[in-house]
Amino acid sequence: MSFIPGQPVTAVVQRIEIRKLRQGEHLILGFSIGGGIDQDPGQNPFSEDKSDKGIYVTRVTPGGPAEVAGLMMGDKVMQVNGWDMTMVTHDQARKRLTKKNEDVVRLLVTRKSLEQAVRHSMM
Amino acid sequence: MDRYADMEDKLRILEDLNMMYIRQIALSLQDSDIQKKIDHEIRMRDGACKLLAACTQRDQALEASKSLLTCNTRIMAYMSELQRMKEAQVMQRVARRSSEAGPTDDRRPCKGKVAISDLRIPLMWKDTEYFKNKGELHRCAVFCLLQMGGEIHDTDMVMVDRTLTDICFDNTIVFNEASPGFDLRVELYSCSSEEDYSAGSTPRKLASKLSSSLGRSAGKKLRAAVDPGAGSPTGGGATLLLPVPAVAGPKYHLLAHTSLSLAHVQDNFRTHDLITSGNEECTYWVPLYGSVCCRLAAQPDCMNQQMMSGCLKVKQLGGDPQSSTNVYGVLKGTNLSCYHRQEDIESNVEPAFTIAINKETRIRASEKDPDSNVQSISISNLYGGEEVTHTVSADSRQETHRWMEAFWQHFYDMSQWKQCCDDLMKIDLPSPRKAALVTSKQGSLYHEMVIDTAGDIGTVTDILTRRMQELELRSQLGTSPPWMSLFAESPGRQRSPRLAGHSPRTPRRLPRSPLSPSRCPRPSLLSSDASLTSDSDSPCSTSPCSRHGGLAEPLSLPSSRFRPRTLSLDAKLSTLRGRGYGGALQCSCQPPTSSLTPIPAQRVSQATLSCSSSTSSNSSSEGRRSPESLDSSPFSRPSSARRSLRSMRAKLDPRNWLQSQV
Repeated sequence: MSFIPGQPVTAVVQRIEIRKLRQGEHLILGFSIGGGIDQDPGQNPFSEDKSDKGIYVTRVTPGGPAEVAGLMMGDKVMQVNGWDMTMVTHDQARKRLTKKNEDVVRLLVTRKSLEQAVRHSMM
Repeated sequence: MDRYADMEDKLRILEDLNMMYIRQIALSLQDSDIQKKIDHEIRMRDGACKLLAACTQRDQALEASKSLLTCNTRIMAYMSELQRMKEAQVMQRVARRSSEAGPTDDRRPCKGKVAISDLRIPLMWKDTEYFKNKGELHRCAVFCLLQMGGEIHDTDMVMVDRTLTDICFDNTIVFNEASPGFDLRVELYSCSSEEDYSAGSTPRKLASKLSSSLGRSAGKKLRAAVDPGAGSPTGGGATLLLPVPAVAGPKYHLLAHTSLSLAHVQDNFRTHDLITSGNEECTYWVPLYGSVCCRLAAQPDCMNQQMMSGCLKVKQLGGDPQSSTNVYGVLKGTNLSCYHRQEDIESNVEPAFTIAINKETRIRASEKDPDSNVQSISISNLYGGEEVTHTVSADSRQETHRWMEAFWQHFYDMSQWKQCCDDLMKIDLPSPRKAALVTSKQGSLYHEMVIDTAGDIGTVTDILTRRMQELELRSQLGTSPPWMSLFAESPGRQRSPRLAGHSPRTPRRLPRSPLSPSRCPRPSLLSSDASLTSDSDSPCSTSPCSRHGGLAEPLSLPSSRFRPRTLSLDAKLSTLRGRGYGGALQCSCQPPTSSLTPIPAQRVSQATLSCSSSTSSNSSSEGRRSPESLDSSPFSRPSSARRSLRSMRAKLDPRNWLQSQV
């Protein structure tokens, strides 16, 4: 999942569709994100490459909509509903996930185990 | 003036004649459905014209003009459909007379639903316009018209100016009767919202309309929409079928268009190219990047409807040779589900077993069974390298024939709908929402940095707190959620010093006038739920610590001001860091506090996260300067700007690694 500036990023991704849970007036997804181009990537405990400024899932509320959909802690979020998440600030990322008029968010996430699985299956 | 009035009259007469002509065709076809639709659209069009003439507000005029355009397009679509049906009728009569060709049993693929959603069109402003905000703010109103066959839908109107980076249309539009060879035409219309629409210049407008209304955009559409395939008797007059009514008002122009078809359907977001028309000189120009991003999904009927069902006897080759199971089979999607009984389907019981019917399945009619003299059907699938064959037989020959027909039709559908039949694509119908929600104008990237007080984090904290209250009772049974431990821990942290005697320090949750250092009433604190006040809302209870006594002086200054909870929140978190919790705010019990959004003052139930005074002292020692200059106003909540400034500062502090709860 390392990124070379100027080169297109390729990754093995999994599609995850999360239905937001309505709690009164609010829609919650049930996970926390960390990272962003305005954040210090060295403090990200989940990234392999410590210069990766992408958005990572830092926590998944047990039993919440994200866990039910298959999101796991440590996943890197690449896209949300078609919007790119590899080059966004933390706040932009949060906003794209919490749009009030969307009930469903479709994420593309990548994780180390996916790449390994693909590699093994090719061997 | 007379000449123009004359021309107007003539135009109106033409229109009326056209309407009569259309109605006649509809009548002759005896198709009341289309006739009703046309009548409805004509009435809508009249209403829109009247509204356009009568309204004074620009927004209303733009909306009315948009409805007018949509109505016109719909009328033209219906008219062309009428033409087609009329032709088809004529051809059929001719064919019937000339030959007695038997019914050609052309297999037709099933219909399906096609949905397009999350339309997004990126814009490409010149950097001088975008960043430096040069020149006047040129605004345009845009909307999309989506056309498939005779169905036309429009999206909501969006105002575009150079503070927008993308045009987003939130609507989800579903076309119900789509065939696999569908052609979904997406058209982007725009109109400058600064023109003068006064009726004073009518003659000029009329003249320009006459020359331009049947010219580029309208003429092109007319020709495209009413383009008869075979020679139509009325082909020549078709172009004048529906002139644009001479109503003064904003007029939309076609800015870009594209066509989407089955090849573009995917259960994901894709970018497509746009063909733009117009150039920078036009008033309605908006600098498009040249592509449109959307999600185009299709649900063929064969995937979500029962195509065939009936009683079957199923035998698995290789299994017990004599055993055949009597089941009720349902062909739907990529499966033939076999239930023990027909009633099981309604009662949502799992099928006894399922036979896959997909592109790799092979189905053959096999030899007649000598005993029962009934043909059976064998279905072969490859399951992980192994071929598994099921033999299926129905009760009678007709039944078997019907099943074979159904399988053939199913395979044909799958071959026509291609990738849509791999898996069922989800189509979300937008949930009905209260229309009163007013969306605020999208600001520039820089405006988006300001966090509003009714922030998501604050409300999520609410939710968590409420849940916590419920779970508090449960926690006594030992079944508390992981994040409860934060609140349990907090008493320990809270024992860090408080200058309790220092009364100005105490009302840190309540805004106070700087002029009244005496204790102000804190009713909200007292009302907070006991379960949450582990860190106590009675600051007096904690003992002052001598540790930070030395910092009393610098504190007195800040303390005389209002201390919003957020500042103490930052401070608390910095205390955590100071105590070696590491730079990342990674409590295993993750409260949604790390993003440091301001929490409204009256929500004292979130008091657990408000922290001790020592943390504020830490904050000052860590260089987080309290914004003294800002808190000059007394009483209730501070302005959101102040709070957002503080939280923004926290967010911009590079030492933090922010985490947000969503």
